[in-house]
Amino acid sequence: MKRRVLAIIFATVLTVSALTGCGSSASAPAAAPATGGSETKTAETTQAEATDTAAPAARQTDGKNLPELTTEPLTITLWDIATEDPGKSTQEAAVQRFMADYPNITVNQVHQQNDTYKQQLVVAMSSGQAPDMYMHWGGGPMAEYYKSGFANDITDMYAKYDHPEFIEAAIAQSSFDGKLLAIPFGGLSGCDIYYNKTIFAELGLEVPETLDELDAVCATLKEAGYIPFALANASKWTGSMYFMYLVARHSGNAEFDAAYTQENGGTFTSEAFIFASEKIQDWVKKGYFPDGVNSLTADDNQDRALMYDGSAAMMLHGSWQSSGMKADNEEWYTENIGIFRFPEDTEAKAKGVPQDVEIGTAIGNGFSFNCFNADGSVDQTKLDACYVLATQYYNDATYNDMQVAVGAIPSIVGYGAETVDDPNDKYVADVFFGASNVQLWYDQYLPASVTEVHKNCMTELFGLEKTPLEIGQEHDAAMQKAIAEQ
Amino acid sequence: MKTDSNMGRGASRGLAQAKARSTAQAATVFLLPALILIAIFIVYPVIDTFVISGFKWNGISTDRVFIGLENWKTLIHDEMFWESFQHNLIVMVFSILLQIPIGMLLATFLDAGGKKFNIFKIIWFLPYLMSSVAIAFLFVYALATNGGLISSLATIIQGKRTTIDLLGTAPNALYTIIGVMAWQFTPFYMVYFIAGYGNIDTTIYEAAIIDGATRGQYLRHIAIPLLGPIFKTACTMSLIGSLKYFDMIWNMTQGGPAGSTELMATYMYKLSFQQFNMGYGSTVAAGMFILITAIALFFTKVFKVKEDY
Repeated sequence: MKRRVLAIIFATVLTVSALTGCGSSASAPAAAPATGGSETKTAETTQAEATDTAAPAARQTDGKNLPELTTEPLTITLWDIATEDPGKSTQEAAVQRFMADYPNITVNQVHQQNDTYKQQLVVAMSSGQAPDMYMHWGGGPMAEYYKSGFANDITDMYAKYDHPEFIEAAIAQSSFDGKLLAIPFGGLSGCDIYYNKTIFAELGLEVPETLDELDAVCATLKEAGYIPFALANASKWTGSMYFMYLVARHSGNAEFDAAYTQENGGTFTSEAFIFASEKIQDWVKKGYFPDGVNSLTADDNQDRALMYDGSAAMMLHGSWQSSGMKADNEEWYTENIGIFRFPEDTEAKAKGVPQDVEIGTAIGNGFSFNCFNADGSVDQTKLDACYVLATQYYNDATYNDMQVAVGAIPSIVGYGAETVDDPNDKYVADVFFGASNVQLWYDQYLPASVTEVHKNCMTELFGLEKTPLEIGQEHDAAMQKAIAEQ
Repeated sequence: MKTDSNMGRGASRGLAQAKARSTAQAATVFLLPALILIAIFIVYPVIDTFVISGFKWNGISTDRVFIGLENWKTLIHDEMFWESFQHNLIVMVFSILLQIPIGMLLATFLDAGGKKFNIFKIIWFLPYLMSSVAIAFLFVYALATNGGLISSLATIIQGKRTTIDLLGTAPNALYTIIGVMAWQFTPFYMVYFIAGYGNIDTTIYEAAIIDGATRGQYLRHIAIPLLGPIFKTACTMSLIGSLKYFDMIWNMTQGGPAGSTELMATYMYKLSFQQFNMGYGSTVAAGMFILITAIALFFTKVFKVKEDY
């Protein structure tokens, strides 16, 4: 009997050993949803040569107001997720330029797999192996890293030293609690409605500018046998885009900000949230989304596939879709795909609600720095070097040109619509730079525990399994719990 | 003489002792690596999991706050945990009911057929050779409502666009996954039972045939009863496997839609690594450990009774 007990214990024990074991588990899951605009999948680019320019006397940082970097040997460990080109060569080139200018500083650039990156980072931090400088997507996790003491507050450095002129939204999304915690480097991603111009022309449809017009367009499309919206909601953050925009058009940022703090009567059951949920469920009932919407995944581009085969006419999505579609079939894309911003809510507009709050990410990716001494004080020598690398080599002209060449728009003033070729990307940039505020995707902005609830609610919303009120209440409960635990 | 014999006894005792000692030494040397590995990678993590379950900790921060049994109180009242446990039980029952009988049936068929059925053996074993992640992707594509195998077939048969949504709606998703799991693991039990049949002494078969038993009688009254212990082990393995299942379900649904395929392991993972709640995640892991051990013990106990009977 004893032996059997032992045998069973050993067998079951494997269940839990994955949790506390050191390092990464081998069978790390593969399909963590790539949220938001971080992954600008783009066409191949010519790999710019950017390696050693044989120790030049002049550095590209000369003459700038920057901290004096150490002349002692120094090693910086940097984590990113640039495993594939074009991102890989662009980012490696930035590091190479830095090391050429500062030969005493070695940057140990580690490319992690995107799918398991967040877990890797958590494990590294908890075991005291955290990198000195690491990329992330901003939002809730960034706040968590900061609160746990793994992100330097760089507000003062940013005020004191030179840096690229990042757009306000990017700085806002790199901040938490009034402190700047990251340097953006990934470029922005807007969120607008792609539509099939050919189908619109065939049915004599105009681009809708108000929600009522959008409703009318949907009705016409449905009648003609088209699916109005291509949506793959197994990924959940895709359905969330519709929800976020309806809330934003109905209340600007006011109701979301209030619900986020749960103060002064702020709640996820307030008017705009109920409005958004009801609208979506109304659209579901009218058949404006594809059948089986909750089992289609955006990771496999099943939403895009509905656009390709001509069965769907519109798709609200992140602006990285342009380059994705172009890579699949540029000719088809140029001929058929146009874009328009999420239509306005005329009733709300009449009440003075701003209609230029957009959804997206201005930070794209950000670098946070983890430069601390053993006693917890800031390791200024290292932090200075990291700051210079992130602001002057990432984000320099060479870097940005390479970004623009593959369709990304750096979140830096001056890189507006005029620097982009693709007309749809131009439009996205215009909308983005014209926005009064850019709300970061809820699933990155909300605390992690609320994100999970939000994503499940998106399934239930589109699956008609919960009422708008229940959806709001679930958000509230999760938000209150998260606030209480802070 | 006396002294001589005494000396002889003493010498032989000394020899036996020396032998025992050297055996013990050798055993220690050979077992040590395994013991060290088990201690580091299994015993320590399990103990640590229980330790962490007493803390409020986000998994990153250096300051963990000790909160005693607070996490355990939460766990007992955590609907999501018990719901995922229920899902695990459903998966467990169906795994045992599907995988083992089908595996046994296939094994019996192959055993009866002998060498000429080897081709079936190879083909049927293939699913087990694929990694769970690959199987997950394969089935996600096959079951996709947009251009997937099932929906496309339905469209052809119906003559109009038909969507069969197996992974996107609540009760369907769990049973679909149980089906996919059966597809993956049945071959394992098939091979297991083939080995079981192989272990039965041929003289028993010959004796039965000489006594006038038919092939069917031999199977029913001799071979299958002799497979008893194998059957029991298979059930225990299937039971433990389905209670701690993670990889394929994570890659197919991540516990969705809306938590309807959430298992204890996926719940634990989400809490620990996505929601920055390592303390409570560890509590869930420790809870799983206790539940799985208890169920497995109970199961073997019940089986023992049957066996004796």
